[in-house]
Amino acid sequence: MRGRGAVWQLGSLLVCVALILAWQAVAQARLVSPVFLPPPTRVWAALVRGVESGVIVQKLAGTVLRMIEGWALASVLGVALGALIGTSRAARQWLGPTLEFLRPLPSSAIIPVAIALFGLSNGMVLGVIGFGALWPMLLATVHGFAAVEPRLYEVGRALGLSRWAVIRKVALPSAMPDILAGARLGLTVALVLAGVGEMLAGRDGLGQWILLAARAFRAPDLYAGVVLFGLLGYASALVIGLVERRALRWRQG
Amino acid sequence: MTAPIALRNVGLTLGGKRILDGIDLEIARGSFTCVVGPSGCGKTTLLRLVAGLVLPTEGEVQIGGTRVVAPRRDVAVVFQDYGRALLPWRTAAGNVSLALEAMGVAPRARPARIRDLLGRVGLAEHADKFPAQMSGGMQQRLQIARCLAQQPEVLLMDEPFGALDAMTRQGLQDEVLALVGDSGATVFFVTHDLEEAAYLGDVVIGLLPHPGRIARQVAVKLPRPRDQLATRELPEFLRLRRELFDFMRTAEA
Ligand SMILES: Nc1ncnc2c1ncn2[C@@H]1O[C@H](COP(=O)(O)OP(=O)(O)OP(=O)(O)O)[C@@H](O)[C@H]1O
Ligand SMILES: [Mg+2]
Repeated sequence: MRGRGAVWQLGSLLVCVALILAWQAVAQARLVSPVFLPPPTRVWAALVRGVESGVIVQKLAGTVLRMIEGWALASVLGVALGALIGTSRAARQWLGPTLEFLRPLPSSAIIPVAIALFGLSNGMVLGVIGFGALWPMLLATVHGFAAVEPRLYEVGRALGLSRWAVIRKVALPSAMPDILAGARLGLTVALVLAGVGEMLAGRDGLGQWILLAARAFRAPDLYAGVVLFGLLGYASALVIGLVERRALRWRQG
Repeated sequence: MTAPIALRNVGLTLGGKRILDGIDLEIARGSFTCVVGPSGCGKTTLLRLVAGLVLPTEGEVQIGGTRVVAPRRDVAVVFQDYGRALLPWRTAAGNVSLALEAMGVAPRARPARIRDLLGRVGLAEHADKFPAQMSGGMQQRLQIARCLAQQPEVLLMDEPFGALDAMTRQGLQDEVLALVGDSGATVFFVTHDLEEAAYLGDVVIGLLPHPGRIARQVAVKLPRPRDQLATRELPEFLRLRRELFDFMRTAEA
């Protein structure tokens, strides 16, 4: 089993290397102008330069911080609200229609609203990230709480657990697989919106870095930013995966 | 001394349907009462009334002289579907701990109690296993350990061994007899296995359906301790078995 996994990992690495080599070949053959597609070597050089001068690291840190802040906001709100809605039929009926109306709104559609409310500020970007990442968290949490085995609630009653203890010890852990799946989606949404928000509001970060590089025809810098975005997405998926594996250890039975 | 369990003219109507009618019952302290009857006659419902999980629409249920209006900590329930009644994300130790937490046992006092309780049901070696890693018999033992953690005056068991194979079932029957013999708890045991009822009980109660009512109350005059081979060969056991089979045949007709 372990050997199999290693083979797969090696395979995925090979695909990645092949893509980079193809990119290099296309760029060297000048099939696309280097103004639009610089070879990976130059992108790498730009990345190294950016890291050495510390500029790109600072942009990256800005984006990471923004993404995590917005996502954390969405998570806290999403889990709290989701728990309320998922455990209470009344709340589901009262809030359901409003949520159904808000849910399909694309986050980009509320960006102008957010700009009108908060201006081109950091708060605006955070608000947009929070709004966008809220939905996957909220819906997953509602689902998780609504799907708790009814027998376990009965066990809680028979043991005389308080309402709060039932939520904390029975419902929340039972909903955890769903919540983590929502967190994974929410983190992706947060990353996308952090980039878009930075571009629109001109906040310091990778999104803005990419936009400015594109306007100045600094293609290697632009691609360095894009690569970092990709790596950031990959890293956040890895982290959630680790948390999932730890928190859901009991499922591997 | 007041009977630990007393039902006075208890009736239950749910959604316009008469489920139990005119139940009068007194159960002596420390006795073992088995309830039999055809499927759907209201055995589980009767147990849930005693547990305080459902409240009667007429009459009243008393435990230790006080009216039951909600589940009590000194009344423990072993559910038939052990697979759903255990927390899958907690280990065996964690599941027992849930009852101790509900009882307000200090965290420092818990490990020793847990070890003792798991030892009493023969799960000392399996404290760190998750329910999914345990056999059905082990899971049901774990549920019993969790109930013993409540130090119950009254132990309610709803077809606890119904889903287990014959060998496991006989083993657990003897374990339960030994455990309640030690603790002095009053047991209310629902089963559809007539031999099991005769083997375990001091009294066997026969219910008739539509609406569920008590039709028969049979005293079991078999010596204790009971023995899987010797007891089941006694003429009195065979006579009882015959009486219960005849009752069921007329009840189902
Ligand atoms: N919440 C409820 N609402 C309406 N009817 C119910 C409810 N719970 C149980 N019943 C009905 O009450 C009757 C008795 O059910 P109960 O589960 O107590 O029977 P039982 O004797 O335990 O049956 P079994 O041997 O199959 O376990 C059944 O006809 C069932 O459909
Ligand atoms: Mg039943």
